[in-house]
Parts: sequence; structure tokens; C-alpha cells
Amino acid sequence: MTVEKILLGFDPEPRNILPALKKISASFGFVDEENAQKMADYFDISISRIFETATFYDLVKTKKRAPLEIQVCSGANCATKDAYRVIREIERQLKIKAGDQFNPKIRLEIVSCLGQCGNGPVVIINETAFLRVTPRKIYDILKNYL
Amino acid sequence: MGKETKIITKNWGKINSQNIEAYIHAGGYEALKKFLFEMTPVSGVEEIKISRLCGRGGAGFSTGTKMESVQKEKSSEKYFICNLDESEPGTYKDRMIVDNDPHLLLEGIIISSLIVGANKAFICINGNYRKQAHILELAIERAREKGFMGEGILDSQYSLEIEIFSGAGAYICGEETALINSIEGHRGEPKARPPFPTQIGLFGKPTLVNNAETICNIPWIILNGGHEYAKIGSEKSPGTKLFILDGAIKNVSVVELPLGTSIRELIETHGGGMAKGKYFWFAQIGGSSGRLILEKDLDEKLEYDREAKIPVGSGAVLVVDRTVDIHEMLLSWTSFFRRESCGKCVPCREGTFRLWEIAKRAKDGKISERDLETIPDILWVLGNATFCPLGKFAAVAFFDAIDNFRKEILKEKNIN
Repeated sequence: MTVEKILLGFDPEPRNILPALKKISASFGFVDEENAQKMADYFDISISRIFETATFYDLVKTKKRAPLEIQVCSGANCATKDAYRVIREIERQLKIKAGDQFNPKIRLEIVSCLGQCGNGPVVIINETAFLRVTPRKIYDILKNYL
Repeated sequence: MGKETKIITKNWGKINSQNIEAYIHAGGYEALKKFLFEMTPVSGVEEIKISRLCGRGGAGFSTGTKMESVQKEKSSEKYFICNLDESEPGTYKDRMIVDNDPHLLLEGIIISSLIVGANKAFICINGNYRKQAHILELAIERAREKGFMGEGILDSQYSLEIEIFSGAGAYICGEETALINSIEGHRGEPKARPPFPTQIGLFGKPTLVNNAETICNIPWIILNGGHEYAKIGSEKSPGTKLFILDGAIKNVSVVELPLGTSIRELIETHGGGMAKGKYFWFAQIGGSSGRLILEKDLDEKLEYDREAKIPVGSGAVLVVDRTVDIHEMLLSWTSFFRRESCGKCVPCREGTFRLWEIAKRAKDGKISERDLETIPDILWVLGNATFCPLGKFAAVAFFDAIDNFRKEILKEKNIN
């Protein structure tokens, strides 16, 4: 789907700015400058306004994504259920650090509560959510992605 | 009215919630009919004021008062916003409402909108709740087919359109002015008040923002009257509340109980007590922005009251046992608030960042004398100088932890 087609699905009204950004980000992986300019023209606002909004929200990406993106919830509830041990285990197995931007292929991110607290710890790998993850289980989960 | 009164969860697990026929069969949309044909917006607000219902999102502001001020605004265009952008750690009650009884929420939204005179309502749902957004979309379609919304509701003069607005992952958007900013396509930063959203809100029009759980109480109040509602639960804040029980207990669950229930009762009776082999250390009430409760405070009652020692907040109860590392909890709280601080005001942006740094040093056993000296300063600034309540929230758990568990937090230092 082209960015033009996505934009035509929305009326160019302020309330559609965030939904359009989310959709472009989800379709292309992130919002690049070219697409942001098209969006700015369509909504008749400046490109800096587009990025002003885009950079604020977690679900809108403005940087190219890595082929393997791992997100772990570290909310208080998950933290009481060993979320930090899961994080350390991922760091150890993949030889990366949480938040590290250096590795172009893998990115490990610690994220805020995902509303699945009864089923924590929650690990999201490339948009697929895994619930009740334990340090022991994480190896089998990661195996399928490497 | 016994202790068994169920208002929000009355249909949970009993009917096929996504089927509108089943909801109607269980007495659904009767409150809407009663409001349309027997009441006026003014008498509707009157009932809600009598019920003394207060906001369930955390702040506990009187719903009736808020509704009345929007109703009194003279504007041809008004908006109603259902705040379902729930992102307080440990809180998933609104998600459960949508999963188990979406039409109850819709009925509440329709009645509330009509009472204040709004002809457009937004449901602002957490961006991670994709399945729930879909459930609501279907529910809206069904309700429209039945004539409960759209042009001329049930052949009356009222009209209402409901739109789902899916958030994009920002905790601060639970604050109503920030939420309004995000619908308008801006950064989700809070705005100065006054003007209050009830006067100048979404797109400059009077706007009522209510939490999803608050809204679910409205149909019951309309059907049974405010006086009946005011008899339930505590004297200060009547009604029931959803409590989310999690952590080292037997039954991890969401339960509906009258306000005024003690924390001990929540944990022991409804949470089934401590899980096997776990020993109570402390409990956190109201999500990551909530206070830490030790054994001695377990008999405190949970109710909305400005002077209450323990604020109910979102109703999340997290029971923490002795095996949990307090350093990881500190990291969890501080990294959450550092990430979610919107950056608009310096006290919060810097304060949450420095607390996070200190928590990291504490974890590595490298906390310094200087850190210990500055902690009270940072906490004071967060508590008193930030633009919106987020900064205040960021200090609460950290303050209680330093206050109660200083020894445990500094222990690592001696080892290294």
C-alpha cells in the first residue's frame, strides 16, 4: 500500500493526524522524512508539526527498525515476577544490552506496562506477545527467531 | 443492599457479552430507555449528584459536579470522551470491562453524552488494546442497528455518534488535557487549567472526560436512583470499585467490591491469602504511582477521600513478598516514570531522570553519600513543583521505599 493510499483513507482533519501516523508507521516500519512531507502536505500543516507529534508516542516510530525487535515489560507487576531476570537472560544469550543502538540487527527495549499484568512477564518479539515468560522459557522462544 | 451488590461485573461470565440480544435480555439498555422517555438531562444530573459517584480513574473528583458544569455550558457543540487509555502499571480493569461487557460501557457512554448535551463521543482506548478496540467497533455497529445511537435515538430527538480513537502509547494521555491534545493531533502534553476542559476542551468546545469504569456506574444509577447508589459502600465515597489483585497471592483476579473494603480483606478473603511459601512484605495500592503498605496498615479502608492515608488510585493492589529484590522494584518505578515523563516541565523531566540514575546506582551497589543527600531534595521538587500530577506520582513509591526499606536498599553497598 502506498502512503498516498493510506492518507486518502483519512479525512485531512486534526483528529486523524495520530491515527494516520500510526498507520504509516505500522505499514512502513517507521515514518521517514519523505512520507512525513507527504503527510504534511495532505493535512496542510508543516513537516515539523508532523514530527513534533510523531516523536512523542511509543507506537509511532521515526527510526528504521531492526529485523529483530524485542520488548520486555518492566512494570512493577512484571518486576515482581522476575521480568528483570528475563531481561538479563536475553542480554546474556544475545550478547546485547537493553537500549543499545549499536547492533543493527537486534534491539532490546524495556517498555512500559502493556495491560497484561495478570499474565506477566510479557515479552513482545516483532509484534508477537509472549505471556508468563520465565528465564528458562525465553531460550526456546528466542530460538525460533535466530 | 448487601455486600453482594454487583454493578459493573453483574454480567461477567454469565452472558455472551458480545451479543447485544443477550445484553438486552439481561436488562440492558433499559436505563437508556428510562432516561429517554422518563427523565430530562437536568434530572439525570440530579440523580448522579445524589449518588455522590466520583471518578474511578484515580483522582476521585465528583462525577455529578463535572457533568453539571458541562451541561450548563451554552454551546451547540459539545464532546464526551470515555477515557479508556489505561496505562497505569498493574491496571487492566477497563480492558476487562470491554472484554466482559462492552454494551454496558456503551450504554453508559450514550446516557452520559445525552445528559451533558454532547452529540459526539470518543472512546480513547489504549493503543495496545487492539482486540478490545475491535470488540467495541462491533458493539457500536450492533447498537446502531438497534437504534440506540445515531440519528434520533429510539425515535427521540437525541442524536449521538461514537468514534473510537486508539491511543499511541503514552501514559500521560490518561490526564484529560493531555488526552485532548492527543486527539487534536498534538503531543500529549498536559495544558494549564483554567480553562477547564468542561469549558474549553476538545477543539475548543466544552468536553466531559470520564474514566470507563465511572461510566459503567451510570446506567445502574439511572435505573435504581442516586439514593440507592449512595447506600452502597463507604460513607465518604459510595459505590463499588474494581480492584485488581496481583502479585504473591493465590487468586490473581479482578473483583468488584464496595468502597471502604480494607486491604486485609482484599488480600485475604478475595485474593485467597498469600501464595504457597510466600511471605508478605508490602503491598502497593493504585499502580506504580501508589503508596507502599506495610503489615501494620493492612486494616486501612480503601475509599476516595482527600484525607485518606492510602489513596485508592486505579484500584490496583500488588502484593510483594520477601523474595523480590527491592532494587528491581526501584528500577521498575523510576524507569517507568522517566520514560513516561512528557518533558514539558523541568522538575519532572529532570527529577524522574535523576531518580532513575540513582536507582541504577543503588542496583549496582554504587549509591553515594551525595545521592542520599539529594534524594529528599529531588522528591520534594517532584512532589511540589511539577506541572501535572505525574511528577508527584513518580515520588510516592520511591519516598515510601526509602522511608521503610533504607537498610535493604543500602545493603548491597556494604557487600561491595
